[in-house]
Order: sequence, then structure tokens, then C-alpha cells
Amino acid sequence: MIQYLVSILTEGAIFGIMALGLNIIWGWSGDFDLTYYGYVALGAYMTLVLTIGQPTPPAQYILGLQLPYLVALIGAVVSSALMALVVGLIALRHLRGIYFSIVTLGAVYVLYVLAGQYVPLFDGYNGLSGLFNPMGDALGLDFQSYPFFFLGFCILIFVLVLIFMARLSGSRFGLALRSLREDERAAAAFGRDIYRMKLKAYVLGAAFGGLGGGLFAAYLSAFNPSAWSPIEAIILYSAVLVGGKGNIKGVVLGVVIMIVFIQESTRFLPDVPGYPNIIPATREIVIGLVLVLFIRYRPQGLLPERRYIDHSLQAGVDAGGNALVSRRFGAFNRRFRPTRDRRQISAAADSPLSISPEAAVASPLPVLEAAVAPPLPSSEAVAIAPRQQPLNQHQPAEPPTVSAALVVEGLYKHFGGVVAVNNCSFRAAKGQVTGLIGPNGAGKSTAIDLISGFKLADTGTIFFEGTAIQGLPPHRISRRGLIRTFQTPRGWPGLTVLENVLLAQWDPERETIWRSLTGAKQAQHMASQAELMQAREIVTEFGLAKLGNERAGNLSGGQKRLVEFARIRMAAPRLVILDEPMGGVNPVLGERMALAIEGFIAAGTSVIIVEHNLPFIERVAQQVIVMAQGAVIAAGPFESLRSNQSVIDAYLGEVPL
Amino acid sequence: MNEVLLTLGFGLVTAAILSLSAVAFTLEYAVTNVANLAHGEILTIGAYAAFVIHQSTGNVLIAALGASITGGIVALAMHTLLIERFVRSGIGAMATLIATLGLSFVLQNVLVIFFGAANVAYTIPQGAPQQVGPFLWTPTEIEIIISALCITAALYVIITFTRFGKALRAVFQNRDLARVTGINARLVGAATWFLAGLVAGYAGFILAESVGTFNPYFGFSFFLITLTAAVAGGLGKPFSTMAGAVIVGIALEFTGGYISASYELAFAFAILAIIILVRPRGLFTNARRTIFE
Repeated sequence: MIQYLVSILTEGAIFGIMALGLNIIWGWSGDFDLTYYGYVALGAYMTLVLTIGQPTPPAQYILGLQLPYLVALIGAVVSSALMALVVGLIALRHLRGIYFSIVTLGAVYVLYVLAGQYVPLFDGYNGLSGLFNPMGDALGLDFQSYPFFFLGFCILIFVLVLIFMARLSGSRFGLALRSLREDERAAAAFGRDIYRMKLKAYVLGAAFGGLGGGLFAAYLSAFNPSAWSPIEAIILYSAVLVGGKGNIKGVVLGVVIMIVFIQESTRFLPDVPGYPNIIPATREIVIGLVLVLFIRYRPQGLLPERRYIDHSLQAGVDAGGNALVSRRFGAFNRRFRPTRDRRQISAAADSPLSISPEAAVASPLPVLEAAVAPPLPSSEAVAIAPRQQPLNQHQPAEPPTVSAALVVEGLYKHFGGVVAVNNCSFRAAKGQVTGLIGPNGAGKSTAIDLISGFKLADTGTIFFEGTAIQGLPPHRISRRGLIRTFQTPRGWPGLTVLENVLLAQWDPERETIWRSLTGAKQAQHMASQAELMQAREIVTEFGLAKLGNERAGNLSGGQKRLVEFARIRMAAPRLVILDEPMGGVNPVLGERMALAIEGFIAAGTSVIIVEHNLPFIERVAQQVIVMAQGAVIAAGPFESLRSNQSVIDAYLGEVPL
Repeated sequence: MNEVLLTLGFGLVTAAILSLSAVAFTLEYAVTNVANLAHGEILTIGAYAAFVIHQSTGNVLIAALGASITGGIVALAMHTLLIERFVRSGIGAMATLIATLGLSFVLQNVLVIFFGAANVAYTIPQGAPQQVGPFLWTPTEIEIIISALCITAALYVIITFTRFGKALRAVFQNRDLARVTGINARLVGAATWFLAGLVAGYAGFILAESVGTFNPYFGFSFFLITLTAAVAGGLGKPFSTMAGAVIVGIALEFTGGYISASYELAFAFAILAIIILVRPRGLFTNARRTIFE
């Protein structure tokens, strides 16, 4: 009995490691990877061929190096990671959703067929054996005490993996990874290199699969294709799903329920005479049903992914923007104790993408107050009668030939036979709001996609602050300080509003796996104290303080727009392109947005705004560019365009505004 | 040259079976946007139904019909009891795909309980091979090819010319818009799955007939090839899928005949990986797909 308990706990620890690895790929990165059990199997095979001796005929296999077990374990991890790199390089490049799953299913099948059929590799269906009680002899353990030692060894590794995962879960890297799962376009628009980050997570997860496989090989002392049936993989997926994807405690709970309880305890049941298949088949039916029912009724699992709850946001922030810093930083991570990090602040000041916290507090203050206390005349007046003066008082008076933030020359893009953007050239001045208007189908949105790198132009050049950026991928353009929004608001619905705002700043220093484990504490965590204060201020400024801990996906359309604006404020880019921010927005909210746009200018962000709401354009924009049929047909202050006949013909129409 | 023709002949038989399985899979996908990983089990159940009916009646024709109708009922049940409910309650296509994987396991093991896990021999006298044009086929193989062609023609008529076919295409293009215009998407979905099940059940029968043995897992391994064919042709597009199936079927028979039959599946996926990377939307569309475009 006690032996049974030891073996079941050992197996639980090993499967726990595997499940935690899978959770990185499926839970956090969001890719349903069917190759995963292949990495476990490869780890097991590699451990065996590295530790056992040369094959004796008729057995055939590679290597047979008789290395120490711990060295072999490292070899197993490395080989699984390398294979994941190859598979990931192919599958993660363009494929998502079911296409990714199909290709990974293919990859695991290729591996399975090779292991089973190509005998010189791992001896085909006979498989490998001969790894008995590794490390046992060196430690002088007999066969009775060895299982206890091995259980301890597995639990030790399991606990180390668990600590690693806990750190990763609360780290900046973990947060950024989850943002990819939530919305890749938004993630790319805020500087994340999606392919690279997903690849990193994939290889990391697979490495843990290989580690689990290496331990599993020692536990079984052998491995062959029959230890690698689809059910082994399914039970691993069901464990992660049942416990709760993305929640490491949940994953461990899932392993306890599915593997220790359902899978193993049913081995005790006596056989039904005459029907030897009933018990194992029923077990697999139960596992399959659990998978189906959980997806239907509790897709988030027993312990759903936890979000970071910021208690000082709920408590409120005083008007001066000084957050009431609480010592309790939420249930998300108890070790989360942000401290002031001077290095961080000075680094932030150097970085072109982020403004220093001092600047953030100082510069938008007038706007902040204006936004908090609504100075609205009447909503009607706002929507219909634009203010006579353009609101550019807080800008220094600059000559009309101000240096350009963006210069577009001869841009051209076609889709099939449709020419969407046809020799489009314009410039947008630094420190100004430039409106981009034109009828539907004029090519405005395509032009934005081309400028921000989401689509590739056929020909043409784009200069952002003097450097050519055409052909760069979206994240590189974003990192240079050009950030765009989308026609329908995009964000990371599964993350909280505050997390959404925090993630607006791309942080190359900390968004790495390595830095989530090493370095100063605040470097591991998803935000430093300064960033957190800044994010709280911005969330409050946009009237979202009460919603700060809410998942962004639960917000209304208008609130999602505000979150989008809050992210821009946090990122403080040098140029922002807003794609129809007023779509479906009520007049009061519109006023708030107009003020926010002034705030962007005040914080040093030039603005290009695509909009059909002309009073709004007239109010906020100093320069207006009119596009029609893919080309720019006029440009200048709004007033000058009213009398421009081609603009009237193409867009404004004859009805006086 | 003769050997090439012989292999091509086998390839066409494989292609015929594969194209039926793949077109059924792609029809299921077209109306629900769900890749049904339990599709292979419809074939398996069809094969078992044919076997049982054939044993009790001794009539191949009734067995074939029984396989087809059983397949239709199973697919209809899958759609009504599981897929449609999942889609309606807002569970995403990806999560539903995982659920169908669970369902596939449930069905396999239900079959294990009823019929055991061992191979069932299903040998129908195939008759002497005959020369048909350049190919050498047994009468059974000829029947397989002719019936596949007839079913394809029938599907073509249904999808292209009937009101139902029009509704089906509308649901595939835009489910919500189709519903707004008064199409009962649920009914169209159910009918399409039933139709797909009829085809898949029959495909299970002819697959069992041509292989000679089967077990509860046999549909699943054939499903992996089906998936290759469907994606190669273009998911959701019935006739491109069939064209993809013909190409994959023949390619498999050649790799099987000239390299090694054991690596057939591995080759199928190698083909699939290349196709997906070069032509993610299938062989017959020109659109290049990137993450953002």
C-alpha cells in the first residue's frame, strides 16, 4: 500500500511538471499545441539513450552513452527545446487557432511514426529500457529505499518548477505573454514581437515537457510507443483544463484530480469477469466526458486565472494624482511589494517610448482636472457647434513649416484588382493634430495599416521623424514611437483595465524570461511602483478608477475607447494615429476624448486622426488632409477646405455644414 | 510504366474514399466553423454498422445503406446534442474543437466496450482484378470509384442548384447575416451534418471493405489523412476539398508504394505542413495569409 502511494505521488509530481509546462503554451500563450506530448516522449527517449549502454543486437538505437542521469536529464530538456524550436519556427509564424493545432498534430504524428517505425532511432516498437534506479548506486540506496528517494527527487524538482512558474506568472513577461493570447494585433501595436515571444514561450514549455519526460523515463525505467498513446496526452490536457488554464494552482489541482484520482485510483477496481475492457474503457470515457463537460459548463476551470487586483485603485486616488499606496498589493501575488526603483525611473526617462513619471504628473495636470470635472456646456452644443478657435494655445507658436512627424510619399497598395491607396502623399506636422478625412473607401484605413506596418505597401516611402519605416514590422514601428489604434477598439479583454494600461509601455529590459527570474524584485514583477502610480493616475484621469480591476472585455464600447486612450497616454508615443475614435461614441464621451487629444499634444505626442465626425475634426485638428480614391486631394486648415470644390464633390457635398 | 499505372490505380481508389471522408468533414466545418475531431468516429461507426448488418442479413447493399444511415444519425446527434449547443452558447470554435477531441475518445471507448479493441476482419470477396482502361481494379474497387463519383455528382447538384445548397453556402459565408435574412441556420446545420454523416458513414463502409479489417481506432487514423486532404483543398469548400483529396490520395499511394507504407502518415503531414506554410488557405486559392493580412 505504502509503495503504491509512493508511486502514485511520484507520478503525480512528474505529471505536474508536464502540466505546468503545457500551461505556459496553452494557458498563457494561448496556443492549443498537440505536439506537447511528443516533447515529453522525446525527453524520455533521450534520457534513455544517453544513460543506457550500447545496444546489443538485435536491438538498435542511437547513442548509448552511459552518461550520468542528471547530465542525461539536461540532454532531454535541450533536445525537447530544440525540437520545439523547429516546430515553433514553422507553426507559429503565420498559423493560429485550428491551423496551428492541425500542424502540431501533424508534427507529433511524424515524431510518433519515426519513433515507432524507424528502428535505428529508438528501436521501433520495442522501445528502450534499462534505466534502473538512476543515482541509486552512487548514493548507496537499495531497491526498497530507492522509491522514497526518487519520490523526494521528483517532488524537489516539482517544487522548483512551481516556484519558477509562480514567478513567471506574476512577471512582466507573463503579463505580456497573456496579452498575446488576448489580442495579437493590439499587442503588436504596443511593441510586442509576437512571433518571438510566442516562440520563446513555446520552447520554454516544451523544455518542461522534456524534463517531465526525463523523469518519467526513470520512473518507468523504460519507454516505448505504447507509453505514448493519445490518451496520455488527452489526460494531460484535461488536467490543465479542469484545474484552470493559466492558474498554476489550478493546474496542480487538475493533475491531482485527473491523474492521481481518476487515472490512477481506478486501477484498484477489480476486473469485471468476462469483460476485461470495461474498466479501462470506462476510465477513458470519463476522461473524454470531463473534457467535453468542462468546456461546456466551466471553461475557465475550477480555479480560474487570477487577475491582479489593485486595492489602492478601489480605495481611490486623491485629486492630485497621489495614489494612496496600500501595503497590500492584492491577492495576485503576495510577494508583490513594489519599491521605488531609481534606476527604473531614470531608464524610463531615457527611453523615447515612456515619459518619466515626473513629466507624467506635471504635464497633463490641467487636462486631468478638466477631464475629471466635466466642463460641458451642453452636449448638443458640443456635437454640433464646434468651437471657433482651434484649441492649440498650449503649443508654442511654430511656423507653418514645422518639422514633420510623418511624411508619406507615393504610397501605393492594391488588393486584387482594387487599388486601395494610389500614389498617396502627405505630411503631418509635429506637435499638431492632423485630421484625415474622406469618403468610405477612400483608403484611409489602408493607409494607416501601411504606415503602422500591419500591411505592406506595394511601393512608396514613409518617413517617421526623418527615418524611413516602410517595410518594418508593426512592433518595430511601435517601438520607434508611432502607435496606432483600430477602428473597432482593440485591447486585451481577459486582462484588467489597469493591466491593459500598464502593458501600453513596452519594456525590453524586463519582458524577458531571464529577467522575470533574476534581478531586483521589481524587475520581476509586472510593474514598478512608479509605473503603477502612473497607470493609476491615468486610469483615474479617464474616469475608469472604479473599473480599474474589471476585465477589459466586460466594458461597454465607449469605455473600451477610453481604455484605448488611456493606453496611449501611458505609452506616450511621439505620434499616435487614431482610427475613427468617435465611432459610436456619445457627445459627452466625445468631449472627454477631445480633451484627451489636447492632453496628448501637451505630453509631446503628435496626433493623426481619421474621423467622419467633421465638427470634431474641426474642433481638434489644425491641419486636415482629404483623401479620395486612394489619393490625397486636398490639405490645409479645415476652413480652407470648405470652399475647395474637389473636396465638396468628393466628400462634403453641397449641403452647408 | 506499368507499375506507375498500378500505383496510380490504387491511388485513385484511396482518393475516392478519402474525397468522400474529406468532403463530409469540410461540410461539417462549413456550417458550424468547427473542425470536428470526432469525424473519424463517424466512419468507424459506419464500418461497424455495415459489419453487423452484413452479418445478420448477408446483403452488401443493405449493409452499405445501413452504414450510411447510421453515419447520418451519428453526425446529426453530434451536431444537435453537442456542436450546435456549444456554438449557440458562445463557446469559441477552438474550445469546441477540444470538446470534439474529448467526444472522439468517448466514442472510441464505447466501441471498445461493445465490440472489443481487437481487429475485426471484414472480408468481402473482391473478385478477380479486371483491366479498366489503363488500370487494374477489382470489381469492388470499381464499385467504390463509381459510387464515389455518383455521390460527388449528387453533392454537386445539391450544393449548387437547390435552395438548401444556397442556404448552406450563405451560412458558410456569414452565419449571422444568413440568420438575419431568414435562413434557419440551425436547421441548415442539422441537415448538412446529416448529409455529411450519410457520406462519412458510407466512406467508413468502403474503407473497411477495401482495407479488410478495422477496430475502434481505425477511423481516427484515417481522419488524420482526411484532415490533410481537407486543409490542402481548403477548409469549408467542398469541391476544392475533393480535389485536395485526390491529390493527397494519389501522393500517399506513391510514397507508400515507392518509399515505405509505414511512413504514409508522416508523409501526409509533411505534405500538409508544406501546403499550410505556402498556401494557408488551400491549394486552390491565391490569397497569401499572414498574421495580420
